Amino acid sequence: MTDITLNHIARIEGHARLDLKIEEGKVKECKLGSTEGSRYFQGLLVGRRWDDAPEITSRICGICSSAHGVASVMALEKAFGVKATEQTIRLRELQTIGERIRSHAAHIYFLALPDYLGYKSAVEMAPEFGNEIKRALRLVKLGNEMVTAVSGRVMHQVATQVGGFGKMPVQKELDDFRKRLIEAKKDIFETAKVVAGLKYPEFKSDTQFFSLHEKDKYAVSYGNIKVGETIFKQENYLDVIKEYHEPYSNCNFVVKEGKTYYVGALARVNNNFSNLSGAAKDFCKEVGFKIPDYNSFKNNIAQGIELIHYWEDTIRILEGFKIKREEPARFKANNGHGIAANEAPRGTLWHEYRVKDGKLTFANVIAPTTQQLRNIQDDIAKYVQMMLDSGKKKEEMPLEIEKLVRSYDPCISCATHFLEINWK
Amino acid sequence: MTKPRVGFYDLTGCQGCLLSVIFNEDEILNIINAVDIKEFRFIMGEKYDGELDICFIEGGVVSNDDMDVVKKLRERSKIVIALGTCACEGNIQAMRKFHDKKDIEPLTYKKNHQNDDIDEARAIDEVIEVEYKIPGCPPDREEIKEFIKQVLIGKKWHDYKDPVCIECKLRENSCLLDKDVICLGPIIKGGCKAVCTTNGLKCYGCRGLTDDANFEEYFKMMKEKGFRMDEVKKIMDTFMARRVEKALKGK
Repeated sequence: MTDITLNHIARIEGHARLDLKIEEGKVKECKLGSTEGSRYFQGLLVGRRWDDAPEITSRICGICSSAHGVASVMALEKAFGVKATEQTIRLRELQTIGERIRSHAAHIYFLALPDYLGYKSAVEMAPEFGNEIKRALRLVKLGNEMVTAVSGRVMHQVATQVGGFGKMPVQKELDDFRKRLIEAKKDIFETAKVVAGLKYPEFKSDTQFFSLHEKDKYAVSYGNIKVGETIFKQENYLDVIKEYHEPYSNCNFVVKEGKTYYVGALARVNNNFSNLSGAAKDFCKEVGFKIPDYNSFKNNIAQGIELIHYWEDTIRILEGFKIKREEPARFKANNGHGIAANEAPRGTLWHEYRVKDGKLTFANVIAPTTQQLRNIQDDIAKYVQMMLDSGKKKEEMPLEIEKLVRSYDPCISCATHFLEINWK
Repeated sequence: MTKPRVGFYDLTGCQGCLLSVIFNEDEILNIINAVDIKEFRFIMGEKYDGELDICFIEGGVVSNDDMDVVKKLRERSKIVIALGTCACEGNIQAMRKFHDKKDIEPLTYKKNHQNDDIDEARAIDEVIEVEYKIPGCPPDREEIKEFIKQVLIGKKWHDYKDPVCIECKLRENSCLLDKDVICLGPIIKGGCKAVCTTNGLKCYGCRGLTDDANFEEYFKMMKEKGFRMDEVKKIMDTFMARRVEKALKGK
């Protein structure tokens, strides 16, 4: 019998571990759990004033703070029947896209690439691959500028509020930003080429793709949910997905009708392929990326495709975009119930609140990583079995497992940490 | 000159502080070259358990595991820096002291959940001694950069001690307290360039209380303006629940 324990898997909102039990060449048990300390956000929100929710929930994650902040604001708007203006919707999308650009760039270069190029880290890679690291930092900066221009701060938004903006973004910053975006063309396309050119293992995840979906637009923060061929309204999410808990994890698991599903860039590209920008579609043709593609490792390629899409789409959105001064909406914030989904860089995110007399009586947040966890666990079991069957050396397996986990981009900072490996 | 041995570590938090280090996009490569980074899990795979000259820690102490890690880091580090509000003040998770655990645990956890929690979530300087604190949620990335520069040339770092109101006034904002918004600006350390209030958001106090915070005057003023004290207290608890309780003892 061989047991594999990977403590400290690259972080998933922090820390995770994997326990694998192998008997006579068969995977008997595969348990992936979070060992991150609990912070009890949902419980701590109860009793707080409604407008504390975006402030508090953005702290769930430094890497996806915009996705959380925007989802929180949207859920509260639904609770109070506030309709965001067209301009507010576009600006929030820019904030969300900015976060995605910096997140994808950092994941591709700092997390994924060292594995494939045979380095321990981006730091070790830097002397040989200085250009790539600098390109990554330029793209991170570009995303940061976008998030800051709209939300007032690089992380944990301040201007983005229920009903509008506490301070309107400045026209000149958006214009300058568009210019820099145009100048970043080479960086964007080179990055997509880098990930499309890596050699990925042959693998097929037994899964269904889950993401926001709009009829005539690549979904960012609005629309229905598409999973497999089913489309459902955001409000009905708890009829469709179920959270459950395992004692070995500080993080819940989520399934749809008992079956695992995939959230993240690969799911979005698969579900929304027809709404990708022209340049993104051309790129897919050029590198031979066809949907449906169930290879979890290729989430890296999907991130590259999304970079091209957001690059082209944002330049288009910002063309002739003139900010009108808008006062934040006035509304009564007494009682209500609101649910909103948003696409974080690493997948669909849920915020739900109930408010009574201006106080939160219930809060539910389901993060992308929570939804990914079960799919990753199932993928690992399948992939390890494949490796056992093909006679792969056991010393080579941990890196391969890490590559698979990292491809999901479970949380950018999460996935770089190397594993402690105990072989029995 | 030998390069100082530096480590970046995280306890329980959101990884936003370590991200803020990296978000010095133009300087991060120079910073990395100027020091000998021994461990920085955000961008490196290496693990290290030797001596450190400078040790940055983000996140708070919520579990026995955190407790163990932070004590060991102290033992092998010459200078420890508490980075960000979890490490400096306890942050959101410190509010759990006001709740019965069974009330805040997700229902799905049930009773079979193996939890490693300590009694209350703490800032790291409640557990170990720290040489410096860089507060903020997130900590200001430029402040981090300046801090590293100063420490590298052997200068002593001085905390920003004035309240948020000073910077807020310098940015010519009109006072939120006059707009019926509870704002903690008068009793909270600035250095944040008043970024929240400038964007129309109240100060929730992420940088911690000023050394000479005058609660009596602040509460008196808040009462006069017609704010409810329980609501003021709730805002104060957001980022520094244990700290506030200690500061208010006997008042």
